[in-house]
Amino acid sequence: MSDLLRFFDKTNAIVLVTICLVGILLIASASSTVSPAYHLRQAAFLVVALVAGFLVMRTKTDTAFRLALPAYVALIVLLLIQLVAGRLVAGTRSWLRLGVVSIQVSEFIKIPLALMLARYLARIREIGYREFLRMGAMLGLPVVLIVLQPDMGVAFILCSLLLGALILKRVRLYVILTLVLSILIGSVLVWHTVLKPYQKSRVISFLNPEKFSQSSGYQIIQSRIAVGSGGLTGEGFMRGSQSQFEFLPTRHTDFIVSVLGEEFGFLGISLLLLLYFLLFTRQLRFRGTGDAQFYFVYLFTGLILFQFLVNILMAIGYFPVLGVPLPFVSYGGSSLLSFMIGEALIFRMKMNPFIHEN
Amino acid sequence: MYIDQRQLSSRDMDRSSRIATAALVILFSGLLFVFWNIQVIRHDHYGELARQNIYRRIRTPAPRGLIRDRHNRLLAGNRLDFSLFLVRQNSRNLKASIEFAAQVIDLPPSAIQNRMEAYRDYPAAFPVPIRRNLNLRQVVMVQSRSDTMPEFELSVEPSRDYPLGNTAAHVLGYVSEITQAELKEKSQQGYHAGDVIGKSGLEKQYEPVLKGTKGMRLVMRDNLGIIRRLVEEEEFVPGDNIALTLDLPLQQFVESEFQHLTGAVAVADLQTGGILALVSHPDFDPATFTGILEPAKWESLTNDPLRPLQDRFIRGRYSPGSVFKLVMALAGLEERLITSKTSINCTGTVRIYNRDFHCWRSWGHGQVTLSEALRDSCNIYFYLLGKRMDIDVISEYAQAMGLGEKTGIDLPGEASGIMPTRFWKNHQLDSPWYPGETISVSIGGGWVTVTPVQVLQMISTIALRGNCPQLHLLDRIERRDEELYRYVPRFRKLPIRLEHFEKVIEGMFRAVNDEGTARAARVPGIEICGKTGTQQIISKDNPRYDELVKQKRFRPHAWFASFAPRTDPRYAVVVLVEHGGEAGEIAAPLAARVYRRLMIHE
Repeated sequence: MSDLLRFFDKTNAIVLVTICLVGILLIASASSTVSPAYHLRQAAFLVVALVAGFLVMRTKTDTAFRLALPAYVALIVLLLIQLVAGRLVAGTRSWLRLGVVSIQVSEFIKIPLALMLARYLARIREIGYREFLRMGAMLGLPVVLIVLQPDMGVAFILCSLLLGALILKRVRLYVILTLVLSILIGSVLVWHTVLKPYQKSRVISFLNPEKFSQSSGYQIIQSRIAVGSGGLTGEGFMRGSQSQFEFLPTRHTDFIVSVLGEEFGFLGISLLLLLYFLLFTRQLRFRGTGDAQFYFVYLFTGLILFQFLVNILMAIGYFPVLGVPLPFVSYGGSSLLSFMIGEALIFRMKMNPFIHEN
Repeated sequence: MYIDQRQLSSRDMDRSSRIATAALVILFSGLLFVFWNIQVIRHDHYGELARQNIYRRIRTPAPRGLIRDRHNRLLAGNRLDFSLFLVRQNSRNLKASIEFAAQVIDLPPSAIQNRMEAYRDYPAAFPVPIRRNLNLRQVVMVQSRSDTMPEFELSVEPSRDYPLGNTAAHVLGYVSEITQAELKEKSQQGYHAGDVIGKSGLEKQYEPVLKGTKGMRLVMRDNLGIIRRLVEEEEFVPGDNIALTLDLPLQQFVESEFQHLTGAVAVADLQTGGILALVSHPDFDPATFTGILEPAKWESLTNDPLRPLQDRFIRGRYSPGSVFKLVMALAGLEERLITSKTSINCTGTVRIYNRDFHCWRSWGHGQVTLSEALRDSCNIYFYLLGKRMDIDVISEYAQAMGLGEKTGIDLPGEASGIMPTRFWKNHQLDSPWYPGETISVSIGGGWVTVTPVQVLQMISTIALRGNCPQLHLLDRIERRDEELYRYVPRFRKLPIRLEHFEKVIEGMFRAVNDEGTARAARVPGIEICGKTGTQQIISKDNPRYDELVKQKRFRPHAWFASFAPRTDPRYAVVVLVEHGGEAGEIAAPLAARVYRRLMIHE
């Protein structure tokens, strides 16, 4: 226990909690017109996430790796159950109701998946056909289930794990070629045979919101206006006109960064970027006690980075509106809790070289 | 143990960390640059868009001033109406919006499309007026979609109301939406697209008085268009009310007398020059123009061959016919070419400049003096007088009496007509004046054209023995109950001797009361003086005259210009009936009915 506190990366912990607090502050502003405001709930989520994170940090990394497969299977089963008898929340069957709490199961699959992929990457020398297909299967099963929910955002973000794997490990050239080819052929085939017209138009509008979907085009425009009107120093907390007068859509979740941009300006944005930058660079400076841990740290950090980029670029119109929350900042308990568990695992892995219990 | 499997050395891991850090530095620098660009460099652009999002300047139209008659009876007022606006900026699918609007107001989408086109240069946040005076069903249709179609706005605005329908339509005129051209011209006077403006009649003449000042509310609105905060407010100022010289019951009486005829009737109060009744027929309902986008009604009015929109009283140009003999008589007396005793022998025909000129009575009037010539409207008398006069002298007198020139009555668009001179003919027609033309002019034919309002002014001047009144319709301007302005009667004195007027008036008196051409205008108890004029459309020399004149369009115009009583005159009445036939049979009796009514209501 004492070791745990001594080698614990306190700086990064402070950075992480600060990001979460910035989130609560922005949620307070974004939901000022809603009653009850969301920021108190988010604060409660944060407490739960921190407790959970602390417990996870005490868990031996070995145990975590060993629990990955059972957790993966359990979550797949839950996703299946949801698909069959899921509760409808805003048209998507992605929420599991447990007592008074609704849990978004799909948010959690990334942890066992990253653990399994990391362990697998540590075992292999390079990525050939066989390895690629195995990893593809591991990833593909939850992705398909999540797409069916449908929650495109989460599914899309999960795919970044495979991308990460391909970057981290040496990949045979023919695998890359085959991959590119099959993606091309596969998408053409799917386009012409499987998809019904309304699904096609959905994909089109999903890929090109400004041109094809009036409503997501509107969201992007309003979001850019909010960010741009913030200027250097912003209009002040709770004083952003676009946020407060509700021109900004889903501002406590997907477009939370636009609230930051409008109310705290370029300085506010810079501060948030600095916090993320510190978090990412510090946790990637890793000298673990095993390859699997190294791969997990990089895969999971890569996933956070990817989601962070998708969210921020979407808010300023450089990426299609995909509906993914900003990690640690956007409102949402499941997202916060799952990312916090992942972070706890990373914190633990960074401490492992100094702990001599095992 | 998985965690102990090692292929990677510490050096590998450090290298990965360095590469990752370098990549992150580049990535985050890029992000900073992108945000700097949006938030700092393009701040003004997005700031402006943000203000356009939330601020809205709402103009509250001021009710127009009321128009009343001389006894404050309402002629034009205001009522509250629902108007429909379309804000392009709030529309997610403009085509669908236009189709919906078309469905609501029952017009083809192209009509609304054209309307939106006309407003293309306005900011996307500008509420384009689609239609005024919506009915309740249309209001409900729009209101029920307000959550899904925030681009539509309804507002309750005062709109012009003419409670008496067609009554005094030409006097009142009408209001309609301001055109692009008018907007350009009046941009400094507080007009905006979609405003209504007086287009004709008094609505146009007294537009600056009637229009009032719009109010303005600067508000902050949220994404649903709900007003969250009132930033600034200026109250509107209603337009000032005007009271006319018109007498509504008399106006309605004259209108009912004239409803099957085409032409104009006017009654003037000779003590002030104020118009008591003014009818131009056919007429129209001014309310037709108040709403927007009712092309069918509008076209039927503009395409009507009888031109109901034209105010014949001030814009109709007609030959004065025998009414002009009054001018000739005055000129002859004043120029000492004739006296009251001068007598000529009318045989029905006279040969002047190798041409035969006829009297209307083919067998002639025999020996006639001036008063008999006026009583019987003898042409020969005036042909012979005209032969002794120069056209420029005749014109001088006619113009002094106001013929061929605008009277300056307070109605817009008055025509001037023509009182020909040598100079005029040389310049306008590039040809010399022929003496024979003077002969035609001397009985009110030839090139002479006048408007009924000029004839009214002329007859008033004769009645007042040379005092030419300024004819007018405005009596008072009032703000609430406070009088801002009251018309002061103005007269212009003509340098013609009083006794000469008396001699002409004697002829006019005999025309009505001594078995003259205007005997049908006689009303016992009133000393009416008048002069008829029957202006032929085709010449009586035409061999087919008797056959053609049965068709209405070849029937002569009928004039009757009159006043009463003979001494201390009170009223002047002018009647013009287009294609009415013999003046003594149609115009004179109509005037008699007007005088009878005036007498009853003394």
